[in-house]
Amino acid sequence: MIAVRDFTYTYPAAPRPALIDINLEIAPGQFVGVVGANGAGKSTLCYALSGFIPDFYRGDVKGSLSVAGRDLCKTPVAELAGEVGLVFANPFNQITGARFTVREELAFGLENLGRPRDEMVARVDEALRLTGLTELADRSPYALSGGQQQRVAIASVIVLRPKVLVLDEPTSQLDPVGAREVFETLDALTGEGATVILAEHKLEWIAAHADRVIALRGGRVAADGTPREVLADASAEELGLMPTRYTLAARLAATQGVVKRDGPLPVTLDEAREFFGGRQREGA
Amino acid sequence: MTNAFSLYTPRASALHRLHPLTMLALVVFCLVAGLALPGPWGPYVVFLLLILPLAALGQVLPNLLSTAVKIALPFAISVFLIQGLFWTGGTPVVELGPLSLKREGLWFAAQSTGRVLTVVSSFLLLSLTTRPDALMIALDQRGAPKTLTYIVLATIQIAPRFQAKARTILDAQRARGLETEGSVGRRVAALLPLVVPLVLGSIIDIEERAMALDARAFSRSGPKTSLLTLRDTSAQRAGRWLLLLGMIAVVALGIWLRRAA
Ligand SMILES: Nc1ncnc2c1ncn2[C@@H]1O[C@H](COP(=O)(O)OP(=O)(O)OP(=O)(O)O)[C@@H](O)[C@H]1O
Ligand SMILES: [Mg+2]
Repeated sequence: MIAVRDFTYTYPAAPRPALIDINLEIAPGQFVGVVGANGAGKSTLCYALSGFIPDFYRGDVKGSLSVAGRDLCKTPVAELAGEVGLVFANPFNQITGARFTVREELAFGLENLGRPRDEMVARVDEALRLTGLTELADRSPYALSGGQQQRVAIASVIVLRPKVLVLDEPTSQLDPVGAREVFETLDALTGEGATVILAEHKLEWIAAHADRVIALRGGRVAADGTPREVLADASAEELGLMPTRYTLAARLAATQGVVKRDGPLPVTLDEAREFFGGRQREGA
Repeated sequence: MTNAFSLYTPRASALHRLHPLTMLALVVFCLVAGLALPGPWGPYVVFLLLILPLAALGQVLPNLLSTAVKIALPFAISVFLIQGLFWTGGTPVVELGPLSLKREGLWFAAQSTGRVLTVVSSFLLLSLTTRPDALMIALDQRGAPKTLTYIVLATIQIAPRFQAKARTILDAQRARGLETEGSVGRRVAALLPLVVPLVLGSIIDIEERAMALDARAFSRSGPKTSLLTLRDTSAQRAGRWLLLLGMIAVVALGIWLRRAA
């Protein structure tokens, strides 16, 4: 689905590249978490994967990047609307301000693509359903909570049926309730087989939901594997990642000799249950 | 449904049912008439005999009056004082010690106030009765340039964006102990930490907004469609042509009246 080869990118007038020698293959339907410290290059990777480099952000590009065989570096963003979609951190900035209701807001992209009205109505209804917004369809997008607005932003991108959905910290401006709404929506979408790339600092959620985690450091891929392989590793902290509470608790228990450690530390609640539960039964 | 981002006031009125372009033509006619008819009385005639009855028809008269007065009154007061008092070499009407109000100055002030009033209330009439998105769609369908529709779009966005941002920044600065009450000097000084992040933040936002619009194919060339359907009638199309002829006539009338005077 996505193929990145020897991709190096430098922002205009930047002293050093923001992404260096990136090589990635992402399969259709995969849910990929992108993690890393501030400035590691997560947002830049998101912009690259959604075609904004070098069409919007100029600068120096080496290597290649394609989605479903289409070269992203050679296609204007506006032509990519059906291929890749990007959701930003701030829901407010993603509302056009030119449409009165959530329903019309969702139709905006389809209008720009010149889709017939019947198709538009059907697709908007589907996107409303997938994001749980059906009840709010006739409200003003401004008269919604942050979490609901972010779901509108997601819906207004998925209504274009992109092959890949890229999200750059979509919950960083939301409270826990809003963040949960967004994550549940993403869960529903991956259930439908969407390919999702999610840059996120909330590792607990990534650990529980992503198929694969890519950790960036200084613009390079520093680790790439299952959530457990990447996030439970002792080197995760060197990447500027805060281990999940399950990892921390298990590590503490192991160093204090409460449980005997063998194999990887847990990163999710289920893994922790197994980690602690299994050992206790052995000890008993 | 009320909306945070525009002045549009939903009513079940005849004006609200008009096609946005008909409404636009009507308002441009008021504007042209107000500016073309000569002096001090011209704009007031348009305001009283055209704009106010139309606002009443659209059931938005109180909204229009209160906003128009709020905008035009400060202008009127300052222009009457400045032009009345400092008009050089005119005929004095009232003497106030060393100062005197000049007839020509007052004349001029009355005329410019009338013009401001017509311009402001024409725009209000349009914004109160016409959905901005419908107007944009209508312009788009007539092949208006993309930059124009973008400017309309961006302008509509500015108010709520600034409001929301100002509120956030104000809350943040207050939490850090910023004075928002107290003497005038203090409050002016307190504005600086509000205004600077507001402006800088909005510039950064513009980039993200442009990207978000592009991700939804806004800058794509080619025909567009729309979910909202606009109802146009042959009567309205004829009406728009008549209004165009009316504009030409009223400009001619204005020129003739000025010549005759
Ligand atoms: N517009 C830009 N121009 C020049 N350099 C930039 C620009 N945007 C980001 N950078 C630089 O590129 C590098 C990667 O930044 P990026 O925004 O991708 O990091 P990030 O992982 O998203 O960080 P955060 O967690 O803070 O969002 C940083 O060194 C940053 O300073
Ligand atoms: Mg970022």
